[in-house]
Amino acid sequence: MIFIILQIIFLISLAPLVSGIITKIKNNLRLRRGQSVWQPYYNLAKLFSKDEVCSEHSSWVFKITPFIVFASSLLALFLVPAFIAKSPAQYLGDLLLLVFIFSLGRFFLALAGLDTGSSFGGMGSSREMFISSFAEPAIVMAFFAVSFNFGTTNLAATCGPGALKFSSLIAGIALLIVTLAETSRIPIDNQETHLELTMIHEAMALEYSGPSLALIELASYLKQIVFFTLISATVYPVVFCAQITPIQALTGIIIYLAKISFIAVLIAFTEVFLAKMRLFRAVDFLYFSFVLALLALIAATLGA
Amino acid sequence: MDYKTFLQELQDRHALIFLSVAENYNDEIYLSVRSDDFKKTCVCLHKLLHSPVAVFFAQDSRREKNAFVIYCTFMSAKYKKWFFVSTEIAADKAILDSLAREIYSSSLFEREVREMFGIEFSGSPDARSLRLHEEVWPRRSFPLRKDFQNKPTKDIEKAEYNFNKVDGEGILEVPVGPVHAGIIAPGHFRFSVAGEPIINLEIRLGFKHKGIEKLFEGKNVFEAIKISERISGDSSFAHSLAYTQAIEKICGIIVTESLSAQRAICLELERMYNHANDMGGIALDVGFSFPAALASLIKEEILQLNEKLTGSRFLRGVNEVGTTRLKLDEGKKKVLLAALKKISKDFGEIKKILLSSASFMDRVDGTGVLKKKTAEDFGVVGLAARASGIAADLRKDFSGIYTQFNFNPAKEATGDVLARLNIRIFEVEESIRLIEEFINIHHTASDKRLTQPELKEGFALGYVEAWRGPVLYWIKIDENGLIERCKVVDPSFHNWQGLSYCVLGDIIPDFPLCNKSFDLSYSGNDL
Repeated sequence: MIFIILQIIFLISLAPLVSGIITKIKNNLRLRRGQSVWQPYYNLAKLFSKDEVCSEHSSWVFKITPFIVFASSLLALFLVPAFIAKSPAQYLGDLLLLVFIFSLGRFFLALAGLDTGSSFGGMGSSREMFISSFAEPAIVMAFFAVSFNFGTTNLAATCGPGALKFSSLIAGIALLIVTLAETSRIPIDNQETHLELTMIHEAMALEYSGPSLALIELASYLKQIVFFTLISATVYPVVFCAQITPIQALTGIIIYLAKISFIAVLIAFTEVFLAKMRLFRAVDFLYFSFVLALLALIAATLGA
Repeated sequence: MDYKTFLQELQDRHALIFLSVAENYNDEIYLSVRSDDFKKTCVCLHKLLHSPVAVFFAQDSRREKNAFVIYCTFMSAKYKKWFFVSTEIAADKAILDSLAREIYSSSLFEREVREMFGIEFSGSPDARSLRLHEEVWPRRSFPLRKDFQNKPTKDIEKAEYNFNKVDGEGILEVPVGPVHAGIIAPGHFRFSVAGEPIINLEIRLGFKHKGIEKLFEGKNVFEAIKISERISGDSSFAHSLAYTQAIEKICGIIVTESLSAQRAICLELERMYNHANDMGGIALDVGFSFPAALASLIKEEILQLNEKLTGSRFLRGVNEVGTTRLKLDEGKKKVLLAALKKISKDFGEIKKILLSSASFMDRVDGTGVLKKKTAEDFGVVGLAARASGIAADLRKDFSGIYTQFNFNPAKEATGDVLARLNIRIFEVEESIRLIEEFINIHHTASDKRLTQPELKEGFALGYVEAWRGPVLYWIKIDENGLIERCKVVDPSFHNWQGLSYCVLGDIIPDFPLCNKSFDLSYSGNDL
């Protein structure tokens, strides 16, 4: 039990660092020294200590959204196993619940984008819903492929010990593509841009400041680590079950960190060496991910 | 055919009546007409010379003649001349027929003249103010009139600026600016969109209006060069060059080949650093950060080279009337050649990365198409015009040091972002070649100006192909040797309209990319 709690604390504290590391790698690739990998923590600390500005034209939706978004990401984190194939909320729901939890957060963020009446927020909401309508089916299909392999949709089981399967690898790649969209990264979105007209995710959160913004940012970090964890567990399952020794836990952590770092490097390279796609071209990219997931499902039914 | 035959033909076949025809220096023709004939003459020249309005300005001569003098200028590459149609209109009845319905490219100029001089244009399609915003500027207060008093006014009748409206189901208006994210100057963009596609874009500028033309008035000729360098920071050298050219023409200062070459080197260096900057900017606006980082390195290399050669990273304070501060000795030549070699190599690298990246090419190919006809109608100039298939480049159109070295102008036909990028790539390569040629010209020491040149009364046009396009200065020096009127046209003034038309039908997220591919100056437009 102690390890399960440890796992949650570990994931929450690690989440901003993953973003920090990706940014650092990107900057180094661009021949720059770049900010410290701890910068996301400083940003969060700064935002939490700041005052907040709230448009007088906005309603309760705007105020409540950061909490819902944060809560949904946190709950998702409780569902996924990282280095032990067990998670605190594993009997609450399965793979499908995860998809719906994220949809809930997204739904409210999109509402909040519309709520302030700013044109950028509305554009962001519309684009986010548009993109997610293509991303979600791909996620679900990839999950199906994985659950076929294990005969269950329970996350602890599907992420747990099992043989390395070809179909899981394909499903993992499909998930990786969707992750680019879900974590608003190039080639779908661009986290670093200041051009409001091109934003997707950021545009919805433009009106937020202070602690609310900090919650939304933290929620994005958590969401990112959930997706990375899912990919890593799909491609290369978690080795250890609930009853483990500290040594095994440590080994588990090291394997987990290695997997996450690999994904981080992969994403950093993608972001630096690809241009962002045209908004409507992103659909093709996500279709591709869906087709991959479908292939994974077919492979899984064939036992590969 | 000589221009005189052309003018004779205008009089015979088109029944134009000129009160006087004067040749000013060897490239300016002034046709004076009655105010009733002004429109007819301008339209005729516009059609026959295939030239948009290059400059259109007024001058307050109420003290001498009790009249305003209006000039409308067309350029002819065929005759290698600038044709100025001028007319006088009585101060008490300051009204003129508007050209804007026949010559679109005069529309903005007319709005400018109206608000600066209080001259009305009958039949004008757009009577809104341009830079002196209705919300803050007092009515009936015309800053370029000589009797204008620069005093704060309390009673400002507030009026509202009406944006062009697009009606219809599902059409939304998206206001952007004047304050933008990022470190750029202010401008307001009003999009009308149907979902993501842009139906209409109206750009409202003027937030940076500084009264530059008024500032020039009464200034010492040698000191005012500093003002010209600060009109648009990224074209400092081109502006100062156009300015000094005009002054040198008036004062009869002979520009040696060596001096022209030195200036051309600076002009090309300015072009190169801006083109490199824009290539990076275009890449960055589609999130392609690796070549963007390389481009910023190239830009920095050129800026450091500028500093080594002239002492100024942005080539300010380099140009002077009759001379430059760039003294190319053997050491500097070596530095320049070595730097060019490195820049050329780095540049080849970035070109290869950009043009071979499928994800990048997909973004720029076919985005933001400015049609040739639109570009011609609105008088789009320079780089943007060349990308849309208009062969216009002052370096080629007028003979000088560039034509001596077989300058090869860039030309593209498609008018999209990729075409504007390709123009930049081509021009940088050509610039490197030209500089290597210009270095070999024998640089005489006699360029040193020993005494202050003698000032003369007169007026002239200075023109330079800056990196964005032609920079024009029309300067009149009075009997005391002070500047009486200085009309400045930065290429951005024409090209902002091109931008607002090139985005139509594209989607909103592609706007920043189109904008960057023009990379226009707010400051140069707002003056």
